[in-house]
Amino acid sequence: MYKAVIIGGSAGSFQVITRILHSLSPNFPLPVLLCLHRLKHVRSGFVEALSIKSGIPIIEPFDKEQIKPGKAYLAPANYHMYIELGNKIALSTEEPVNHSRPSIDLSFVTAAQVYREKLIGIILSGANRDGAYGLKKIKDLGGLAIVQDPEECQVKTMTEASLKMTKVDFVYNTNDIIKFLQNIKS
Amino acid sequence: MKMIRYEIGIVDTRNVIKILLDDFGYDFRDYALTSFKRRLEHVINSNGLRDADGLVSRLQNNKDFIEQFLFEITPETTEMFRDPSFWRILRDEILPEITRGTTNKPRIWVASFDSGEELYSLAIILKEMNLLDNVQIYASVFTEKCINRIKSGRLDPKDLETNEANYQRLNGKSQYSMYYKMDGNTIVFDTELVKNVNFIKQKTTLESDPGAVKLALFRNQTIYFNQLLHEKVLQKLSSSLVAGGYLALGVKETLENTNAYNKFTVFNDNEKIYKRKTT
Repeated sequence: MYKAVIIGGSAGSFQVITRILHSLSPNFPLPVLLCLHRLKHVRSGFVEALSIKSGIPIIEPFDKEQIKPGKAYLAPANYHMYIELGNKIALSTEEPVNHSRPSIDLSFVTAAQVYREKLIGIILSGANRDGAYGLKKIKDLGGLAIVQDPEECQVKTMTEASLKMTKVDFVYNTNDIIKFLQNIKS
Repeated sequence: MKMIRYEIGIVDTRNVIKILLDDFGYDFRDYALTSFKRRLEHVINSNGLRDADGLVSRLQNNKDFIEQFLFEITPETTEMFRDPSFWRILRDEILPEITRGTTNKPRIWVASFDSGEELYSLAIILKEMNLLDNVQIYASVFTEKCINRIKSGRLDPKDLETNEANYQRLNGKSQYSMYYKMDGNTIVFDTELVKNVNFIKQKTTLESDPGAVKLALFRNQTIYFNQLLHEKVLQKLSSSLVAGGYLALGVKETLENTNAYNKFTVFNDNEKIYKRKTT
């Protein structure tokens, strides 16, 4: 019943995201959209680092790239990543939001508008408030909101901001997030 | 901190697009929907308008507002020397080649609707190569307001630290701070850098071009278009370039899967620089 998973993370999320990607099987039925804060001037290396242990291919998409199930799409350095009607990626160099480009809020909001109740949004460890508004948008439009347990986060700011703004569906530690995703059927 | 506030719906967006075309002759029908919606929200918020109706009535009741609208609807370039590795290749490989042994000044076209950062970055590099007077630069713009901003040197590049760092990564000959002065808290670039630039005013697409272009910069522009306009603009760029001329797109834009692809060879895949074929 779901059409996509979107995950936002910042400081302290790299280990978590690596474990999540490692746990996914190549026939994972949904696309995974990743908006992670990263150094804006370092274009290469990140996708390679995430790919080492990932169970599914990770793509740093070009603009207008078609979104397909069983693949992860990582927001490129120094671009916002929007989800466009027609299941496509749209990139943007508009001004940073929450001091961030890519901004998690923007990826989440645009994904929520496209997938509505068929979207799962997950906020992981991070040091600013980016993503909190986006997760609220997902919830408001009928999607499912998951937040990593702040107690498990290296940096709690982002998850706590999200919990403050939205009555989320689940507060999960990494193992629970993995179990949840592994149980998704097409 | 920037909050996302008013959100415009698709019906209202289409209505604004229709008014822009019918009343003003500006065609935004083939812009990418998500980013165009965001730009409209930006204009609505920054002008203290409540919603799409507020925007429409401002456009219709104040004929001068269209200029402000067009200025704000275009995303700012936001960074000097974005992708320093691109500018290094321009400096070390492309600019020397296109300026070698010609009697006519080679034409460089900043075709992107640039808020000035791309233009000044180019001019600074040319100046450091002692080539600024050996080329003719053209720049496409929407509005007088944009021309004035560029000519005044007051670009307001927000993130001085990023711009400094980008310049460092270029291994430039000088210091970034050589190219601007402070006026209070505002940075004012040395306007000598752009004194010979020819501005071309355009309506939404590149309907007029300088012709015989040896280098066209169009970085991070097709991302704001849908497939149709994307193809149309690439066609235009390709026909305005001389054989062997260069086209630079943004690093996340590609000619692959477009009709223009067979007219170019890939010059540098990482930086998405293409070279116009002879035929």
